[in-house]
Amino acid sequence: MFYLAEQMPRGDFLGSLEQIVMLAVMRLGTNAYGMTVRREIEERTGREISIGAVYATLERLEAKGYVSSFTGEPTAERGGRAKRHFEIEAAGHLALNASQNALKNMSEGLSRRWKRA
Amino acid sequence: MSPSTLALSQRILARLMPPAQAEALVGDLLEERRLRLQAGSQVSVAGWYWRQLASSVSALLWASVRRGAWLITVVTAVASYVAAVGIQFVLWSALSPMTSPMTSKSGPTVVGLFSFVAALAACGYVAASIRLGAARLLAFLVFATTCAMLAISMPASLWYEGSLLVLGPVATIAGAALSGRLRRVRL
Repeated sequence: MFYLAEQMPRGDFLGSLEQIVMLAVMRLGTNAYGMTVRREIEERTGREISIGAVYATLERLEAKGYVSSFTGEPTAERGGRAKRHFEIEAAGHLALNASQNALKNMSEGLSRRWKRA
Repeated sequence: MSPSTLALSQRILARLMPPAQAEALVGDLLEERRLRLQAGSQVSVAGWYWRQLASSVSALLWASVRRGAWLITVVTAVASYVAAVGIQFVLWSALSPMTSPMTSKSGPTVVGLFSFVAALAACGYVAASIRLGAARLLAFLVFATTCAMLAISMPASLWYEGSLLVLGPVATIAGAALSGRLRRVRL
């Protein structure tokens, strides 16, 4: 974990929405684009999220080099509009790993306290 | 969904994100809308569509502010406005002594109007060469502040008030158009 944290610039732990979006992209694999990412998040977390919030988060992650995107073919069910597919880059895997490990280490041994509360 | 509704939603989104992304986003909305129509009513799906659009606008607006796109446009427009006021004052100070030999009462007014128009055309040109949106915002700022100033100041002649209201934004847009034309010639 410390090795991974050292590999990342300071302050680069991912936010909760960033982690959720990246995990959705990872789950969807080659079928990860705006609509599927949004639906995957809603189905798995029960959290309502706007397509704009998904795009804004993906744009931020792309600017950091954690995800990349490419334009697909236009389809009829989308009114002739192309899909924008997303995939996770190596730096994204590293960042996600570090953020998840940080959270896991911080919460280690606290589960009994949560239960008591 | 009517083509005009679609065009409107795409126009709104295109203001907040690059056009290709806006198109992909509208495509996502259309695809999900189609899926939802298989299970839900037209009314509930239309409600979902507009709710998605409204909540997306706030998220994308914030993203565009973070990107700096809006901030740079606003800062450029405000800085151009301040510069225009400064240039107008310098021009007016330099030219008004020349009007003193004039016997006509309209001499200082014409000089004031000329300084106003020249300063705004120059600043519209500079603002548009940085960002086209900044020149548009500058034209709006000029129109709004001129309206406010005319409302609170002593009433002047109708032609003068009308000229200020019309010539200010027109000079700004003309400067911006000149900047765009020169850029195209250079390309």
